[in-house]
Amino acid sequence: MAIIHDEIDNWLAADLYGELSDEEQRQFHTHLVECLACRKTHQETKTMNKILEETLTQQKPDPSFEQRMLAGFRNRAPERTGLLKLLANLMRIRVAQVTAVAAVLLGLVQLGRMITGETATPPAARDRYANEQLFEQPSQVAATSEPGRAGALGKADELAAGKLKDLALAPPQSAVETKSTLERDFKALPATVPPAKAAEAEMAAKETGSEGQAMNYATESIPAETPPSALANRKLIRNATVELEIVSFDDAVQKITALANQERGYVATTSSEKQANGKLRGQVIVKVLPENLDRFLQKIRGLGELKNQTLGTEDVTKAYFDTDARLKNARVMEQRLIDMLKTKTGKVSDLLQVEKELARVREEIEKMQGELKYWDSQVQFATVTISLAEKDMEEPAAFLIKERSQLALYAPDVEKIYDDIKALASQKVQITNAQLNRDYSGRVSATMTMLIVPEESDAVITRVKSLGRVENFQTQTERIAQGGSGMSENAKSKRDKVELNITISREEQEQAFQQTSLRIRTSSVDEKAKDLRAVAEKQGGRVRSSTFSRDPNGRELANAWLRVPMKNYPTLMQSLDSLGKVENVTVQRQDRTGTQIDEANAPADISIQVYSQGNIVSHESGPLATLRRTLAQSAGAIMWSLRMIGVAIAFLAPWAIAILAVIWIIRRVARAKR
Amino acid sequence: MDASEREQYRTAIHGDREAFEMIIRTHSRTLFAIAYGILQNREEAEDVVQDSLVKAWKMRWRVRDPQKFPAWLSMIARHRAHDVFRKRRLDFNHETIETTNVNTPETSAMDQQLHSALATLPEVHRAALTLRYFEEMDYRTIENTLGLTNGALRGILGRALASLREQLRPALASTD
Repeated sequence: MAIIHDEIDNWLAADLYGELSDEEQRQFHTHLVECLACRKTHQETKTMNKILEETLTQQKPDPSFEQRMLAGFRNRAPERTGLLKLLANLMRIRVAQVTAVAAVLLGLVQLGRMITGETATPPAARDRYANEQLFEQPSQVAATSEPGRAGALGKADELAAGKLKDLALAPPQSAVETKSTLERDFKALPATVPPAKAAEAEMAAKETGSEGQAMNYATESIPAETPPSALANRKLIRNATVELEIVSFDDAVQKITALANQERGYVATTSSEKQANGKLRGQVIVKVLPENLDRFLQKIRGLGELKNQTLGTEDVTKAYFDTDARLKNARVMEQRLIDMLKTKTGKVSDLLQVEKELARVREEIEKMQGELKYWDSQVQFATVTISLAEKDMEEPAAFLIKERSQLALYAPDVEKIYDDIKALASQKVQITNAQLNRDYSGRVSATMTMLIVPEESDAVITRVKSLGRVENFQTQTERIAQGGSGMSENAKSKRDKVELNITISREEQEQAFQQTSLRIRTSSVDEKAKDLRAVAEKQGGRVRSSTFSRDPNGRELANAWLRVPMKNYPTLMQSLDSLGKVENVTVQRQDRTGTQIDEANAPADISIQVYSQGNIVSHESGPLATLRRTLAQSAGAIMWSLRMIGVAIAFLAPWAIAILAVIWIIRRVARAKR
Repeated sequence: MDASEREQYRTAIHGDREAFEMIIRTHSRTLFAIAYGILQNREEAEDVVQDSLVKAWKMRWRVRDPQKFPAWLSMIARHRAHDVFRKRRLDFNHETIETTNVNTPETSAMDQQLHSALATLPEVHRAALTLRYFEEMDYRTIENTLGLTNGALRGILGRALASLREQLRPALASTD
């Protein structure tokens, strides 16, 4: 109850707003009955609540409040329509935000490029204009009597005028640019010809008004400002190379000629070359107007499969105008020298000197004129080098079939076969290499290499094979494409000479195809060994080696190694049974894969051991000898036991010591605890 | 908050105008109560609600959790009301506005007293009271709307009523 009294405010409020549970309500009313002060407060609160309700209800929003709010909202936040709404919603997605930022950055980059004029491809029309206008300059310059001055002036004027007339796009800066280039060029010249400088200054002075101002501007900031239209005055040499694969060379050349005529160009040179397989390969050099170059290249591509194309532009503007300016200087110099010759009367040697100088200057002038002309011709026409190759250029003209055989022969007499094969040599069978080896142990082997014409090859090989036992025969055929690679349906095949490599070895050196070892027990070894030899020879075998031995106990032992052809092997094995009891037979067979083997004639090795039991009882006999043997054996047994005991002790001792130590420690611990 | 309500907030955040207008219909009275609790002036409170709604519509993408949308709305209204309140104190226009509220001479004395008593209360107390009297909200809803912790409102309303009672005691005695 005290709790309610202390927190009467909270309870009152909760009661008022219906936030008391039934139990709380009961407790609260009980308290109110008991406590006068709280009852009074309760009364006051109720009255106040009424006033509050009355007062605040007046302030409550009227029923149309929501409508007002809605109307206000619609008014102040008008609904976006269509695309704008979509965009606004889109901008809320992270991906869209990133994309938008990227787009803005890209836009800035583009803007920057537009401002700095770093455009990738110049408009073709301007190029053409520049070429046409500037080509005419040198001839005009040459014609004027005051070349330095009039030439520069004429050029600048004409450029400016031409630009205003032909190309509204190009601002006058480009003309200024040209002039400033000229001016720079003039300044760069060594000061050998002062009048030229004067003329140049005069020219600059004549260029009044806006152009004069622009000139100042241009000389101040030439490198920074490079408007796109500056390209119009450039001397550009355009070159292209195209590599095409076409069906027919002649057709292609005709078409190229036609296309070149269409584009107001011409075929400069044509060259062709015939390959061994009848295909043509060649080069056509076409000159076309630079502005038609791109279109021409497009058309050319239609002729065949484009393998490679390069398009290059060389800017010779600087060099061109350098030379141009130098030429003007040289002309002034020439004029002065002529004047000198006319007016001055001096020593003959001086005049000669002047003449010499004049000749030199004239030579220079001619050289420079030639240079300018060359450039003009290069600029006037773009060079297109077209390399043409007919389809299947690499197709082989013919095939050569090369056969190479390897033959390994085993024969009892190597020398004889060697000579037989040598006798085969004729015009159609040529022995290129023959070698007979005999080493110190008497082993003989021979290697031979021969070339046989294709028609004879089979007969010769069969003949050689019949000379001995063929151990291995391999044939390798190779088809070699000539004058190309890959396949060809039309190319002919030709058989080349057959190369035959022969190796001849003696039979003994051959590895046995099958190896057998067995033991025969018999009472009379010596006799049976002789029988064995007879049996082997009857079956076409040979005894390769044999041994005979007898030990002190009277045991006899004979070893024999035989070699027989495989076809006689089973018969030999059967006949061995007649010699005695056959024991311990082991057979080892070597199956050689990948080589051609004449199995019936392949050698089989048999190693035979013939032995007798010998005497079981010793030769020494009698009680003394028996006693001595018994004693010796007993002593040996005792020694053996002692040794074993020693070993046992050595093995067990460490364990015993360890166990004892543990027991001792445990006892000590136990005692200490007690 | 049930699923349909949450869905409504979500679509409103994503720019569904109809959903937002629905929210205006259901929540503008609550916002008004809050604004009135702070400003004690109907016109100003209405303006505050209007501003808050427009602002909420423009800034709706800032709300990451649709569940917090109503609380966020009332926060905007509270901040806006505070701004207006501060500005009013600077302008010293308080008195002139208050006098416009006077309706009848009989009630005016009591009202005046009540208003000045209300004015002395802390802002949260006033907002809680208006929400209770205007919207007849239960404790739980008021707590949610004002962002109060569970059970805090009991003490707040208790203290608010006690404080009012103290101030209005003479007036109350006379009415009895």
